[in-house]
Amino acid sequence: MKLSNKVLVSNIILSVFILAASSIGMYFLIYKTVYDELDNHLLQHKIDIINQLQDDPSSIKAIKKMGSLGSYEWIDVQPYDGAVKPQGNRFATIDTARHSEQIGKERYRRLTTAISVNDQYYTLRVYEEVAAWNSIGMTILLSVLAGILIWILLLYLLNQIIFDRILTPFYDTVNSLEGISDPSDLEGSFPHSSTYEINVLNQALNSMMREIRSSFEDQKKFIQNASHELLTPLSIIRQKSERTLAKAEQLDQGTIKAVHDIQQTAVRLSRLSNALLLISRVENKQYNLDEQVTIAKVTRSVLDELKDFVEMKDLTISTDLDSNLSVRGNKELIHSVIYNIVQNAVKFSPESGTVQIVAKKDDTDRYFSVTDEGPGIPPDLLDSVFDRFKKGQNSLDGIDGDSSPGLGLSIVHSICRLHKFECRAQNIEGDGAKITILF
Amino acid sequence: MRALVVEDEPLLNEELHDQLKDEQFIVDSAKTLKKGRDFVAGNEYDLILLDLRLPDGDGLELLKMIKKYYEETAVVILTARSEVEDKVKGLELGSDDYLAKPFAMPELRARIHAVLRRKFKIKENEAAVGKLTVNLDHLEVNYDGKSLDFTETEYKILRYLVLNKNKTITRIALAEHIWGSKVDDRFSLDFINSHMKNIRKKLDKAGAPNMIQTIYGVGYKLQMHETQQ
Repeated sequence: MKLSNKVLVSNIILSVFILAASSIGMYFLIYKTVYDELDNHLLQHKIDIINQLQDDPSSIKAIKKMGSLGSYEWIDVQPYDGAVKPQGNRFATIDTARHSEQIGKERYRRLTTAISVNDQYYTLRVYEEVAAWNSIGMTILLSVLAGILIWILLLYLLNQIIFDRILTPFYDTVNSLEGISDPSDLEGSFPHSSTYEINVLNQALNSMMREIRSSFEDQKKFIQNASHELLTPLSIIRQKSERTLAKAEQLDQGTIKAVHDIQQTAVRLSRLSNALLLISRVENKQYNLDEQVTIAKVTRSVLDELKDFVEMKDLTISTDLDSNLSVRGNKELIHSVIYNIVQNAVKFSPESGTVQIVAKKDDTDRYFSVTDEGPGIPPDLLDSVFDRFKKGQNSLDGIDGDSSPGLGLSIVHSICRLHKFECRAQNIEGDGAKITILF
Repeated sequence: MRALVVEDEPLLNEELHDQLKDEQFIVDSAKTLKKGRDFVAGNEYDLILLDLRLPDGDGLELLKMIKKYYEETAVVILTARSEVEDKVKGLELGSDDYLAKPFAMPELRARIHAVLRRKFKIKENEAAVGKLTVNLDHLEVNYDGKSLDFTETEYKILRYLVLNKNKTITRIALAEHIWGSKVDDRFSLDFINSHMKNIRKKLDKAGAPNMIQTIYGVGYKLQMHETQQ
């Protein structure tokens, strides 16, 4: 999950939680305040009544008779019935009907208290309808909650904008890290940032990338030098075996077999070294990629080189070559790509088979493809057929000798990578394989 | 036979390459000392044309390497006319001949032939075993004065065997001398047999004795026995 999404989700969860908690808190707070206010109101009535009775004790009858003070309140005065202690106040919320003829009950707050008029005690009950107060409470609650909600939304929106701004350099760094599959892929370095943490991160990455790049370069140079250095001793081994075998009549069968095996292995090893050398030269970018290469011309020269094998296997080569198709790159390397692909096709084709070679451009693509009628690529190799050295599979196949496509396609792959061409391998329904290069 | 051209001037390089190809060589070409070193390190050549002034170093260095590891490789140095010292140094280091630039192609051909005659110890531009003669620079095979119809590949195989007569030539070496080292030997070796079968058939048809001996598990040897003379 992306950092910004994570922050977003936790913000939302937190906001929902805060909103829920504050709604509940608000609810109780507001109702407590409303009821307190209501009770105060009732007490005020009581005080008013006491004051009035003090001024004119005889008005108790009028109060009794009148009962109602307003449309939402009324007063009930009874001789003292011991419901509360003298001076005591008791509040209660009850559902009752004001008149016996009234249908349905309303919710009232009731103050029960005792008063004395001319030394006579009365129980005084003051009723006040709750509904109006409730609706005030609800209005306050809703507007407060709406306010909070708007505040949260605004905060969230602003946060999102500011957060995006602040995190931009961080995401720049992350994105460029995602695009790296090889230390030499990164052009330039991670930029300076005004945010301390990102700055620390970028500087650390820069120094690490420098280290990795330089040791990677060293390693590539080392592979190049090592494979070059191996060639001469291997060549000496080959020559010595060749010279020994030249006088085969003086040797016994066992020796001949041994020397022959030595020679064969040395040949395969020097091929392997040569392939490694070429691949590391390509990866070390030691080629000029600024030549205009006509694919049809290179293909014809490759076919000329392989003519012998095509004739001996009695293969039919069907070509569809657009002579206007030319690409920018290194002629020698592109020759090597086409040579390797065509050689593989010739090698794996059955006797009298057909090899189809197409170099074309259509509306969207410019491509070169070779299709053979051979056994196809083993399914378990299909995904990694171009990547033999990298995947750490049995790269000794190049020495042991088997029927897999060998080192050629690794060379094809690294050259295509250098030129930013795309190479694909697929099996054809029935029999055969197709290798395609998209320029 | 295998040849290497080390020459930095692209047009001359291409011309030399084509010239040698016409003479039925398998040719590699390098435009830099580095590339030349790669080729020499991994391959044994019959002939190397070497320019001494290369963009990334001195060709004499390559000459030293060649002579150290491959005594039998013939080297012809290509120099500009003024570089007398280079010529001398080159010859001292073991080059077989030199040619001052600019030169005409026929002159180069003549020098190459001379160098190869010396290398293979023959007098004419033709190598012979008994009544069989093989021309060195173009497709021509005769037996007892009669011309035989050989394909290019068959000619290259026979020429190499004749030039190295009485020596066993391994099939790998033969394959590399016909097709170069680029082709995958795991598949080229199979074709040597079928070519050899055709060569024997053609020689047999011309009335030649069986001169090509198969050395089991190794390769072939072209040999003329006393009785076959």
